[in-house]
Amino acid sequence: MSATSFTFEWFFLGAAVVAAAAYVWFAREDRPEPWRAGSFALGIVLIAGSLNSPLETIAVKRLLLIHLLQNALIADIAPLFLLLGLTPRMRRALPHVRARYALPAWLVAWYATHAANVYDYALRNSWPLQVEHAVLILGGLLFWWPLVSGRLSSPAALAYLGVGFVASSFLGLALIFSTRVIYSYYEHTPRLWGLSPVRDQNLGGILMNGEQTLVFLCAIGFYVWRLLSEEGAAEASSQS
Amino acid sequence: MAVHAVCALGALLFAQAVVRLRRRGRPDLAGWGRVAFFAAGIALVPISLLALDERADENLTWHMTQHVLVGDLSPALLVLATRGPLALFLLPPGVLKPLARTPLRRLVRPKIAYALWAANLAVWHVPALYDAALHHERLHYFEHACWAVAGLLAWTLLLDDRRAVGLRVALAAAMFASSQVLSDVLMFTFHPLYPAYPSLRQQQLAGVVMMAEQVLTLGTLAFVLLRPRIRPFRRTVTA
Repeated sequence: MSATSFTFEWFFLGAAVVAAAAYVWFAREDRPEPWRAGSFALGIVLIAGSLNSPLETIAVKRLLLIHLLQNALIADIAPLFLLLGLTPRMRRALPHVRARYALPAWLVAWYATHAANVYDYALRNSWPLQVEHAVLILGGLLFWWPLVSGRLSSPAALAYLGVGFVASSFLGLALIFSTRVIYSYYEHTPRLWGLSPVRDQNLGGILMNGEQTLVFLCAIGFYVWRLLSEEGAAEASSQS
Repeated sequence: MAVHAVCALGALLFAQAVVRLRRRGRPDLAGWGRVAFFAAGIALVPISLLALDERADENLTWHMTQHVLVGDLSPALLVLATRGPLALFLLPPGVLKPLARTPLRRLVRPKIAYALWAANLAVWHVPALYDAALHHERLHYFEHACWAVAGLLAWTLLLDDRRAVGLRVALAAAMFASSQVLSDVLMFTFHPLYPAYPSLRQQQLAGVVMMAEQVLTLGTLAFVLLRPRIRPFRRTVTA
């Protein structure tokens, strides 16, 4: 199979259609601002697009690097856009998840799905791979929900993000520093761009670490800015 | 020799400040906890600059360890030990008053202190300058002095209780983000950046050392600053 061929994970294509239809249904009464609708659409496209395109072909048949890119898109970035796309009324309809449960659950999902045996098994069989991707998406939604739901104060959000950033960084570091192939499945796949399995893995770790650094530092920057604004407002009201 | 002299002078100034403040009936501002912090902070200077020096000459990871100890952990401990009124007793009034009137006092403004800290971090990691410092002893001393001064300035702000928590957290976040850029460059590069250190593995580990140390120091500070504000909000939400 050519690297540019399309491969499909039909479940996620179907789930994307259902999610989009549900959003349109709820949006009839609770009209979202254009940026919210755009954010939700982007989240849908990132999930459906990355799992149903040549990206999927390369991820499953050739390179770990692209598989990790796919995982970063569906686990870190797409869930955030999906949740940001919800209107306040839609958010109220969702259950409240405490940060103290969401963070460990996300970390378990992150590390368990990337454990060598689990990862190799999922790649060699079709449905476990889809389960892995579903766990990553649900884990991402669970992680971002306490933040996007607005139930965390700025200091609590900063602590939550700080712990999440540090705790999730070990996987990327392990992939960067490993000199032997962790995922044996990729030892036997045809190579692309002249990357050896170990170099592919190291680059995958770099991509994962770089992406997480960027996403987390942006989120931390947002909450630091919010903390400064709140302190400025409190100071102004105390002076008046 | 210079390291010993600077440490001895620092210890002398700290000791007389503690004695003077205690004699004025304020042992609460010069307690044994402060002495312990100061001892740890000052001990890190010879440990990093003398005990680790030979290893640092041969191994970039150890050189980075040396820099984070002298430029971050040691200044953090020293400022923790001397912050507040004790700092005013470090120097005799005859020296302190004229010093406070010089433009040097502007160095502890947040934007200036951060700019100096970040510029110091960036400039001294330029491969040509890093290499030059390794080959010229005086430049190397100057480099280490720059690390110590930049660290002291930054931590003076970070540990200043008179400043708003948000500002200090923002400064800590900015420092972490800046050093993270350098850590990532060291970790993510596939070729050695510094001619004197041809080992790529050492370079990548140097990036990890830097990141880990900053998580430890700045992370601890952020946790201590934010913790009292997390609990009341939780109660409000639950109620």
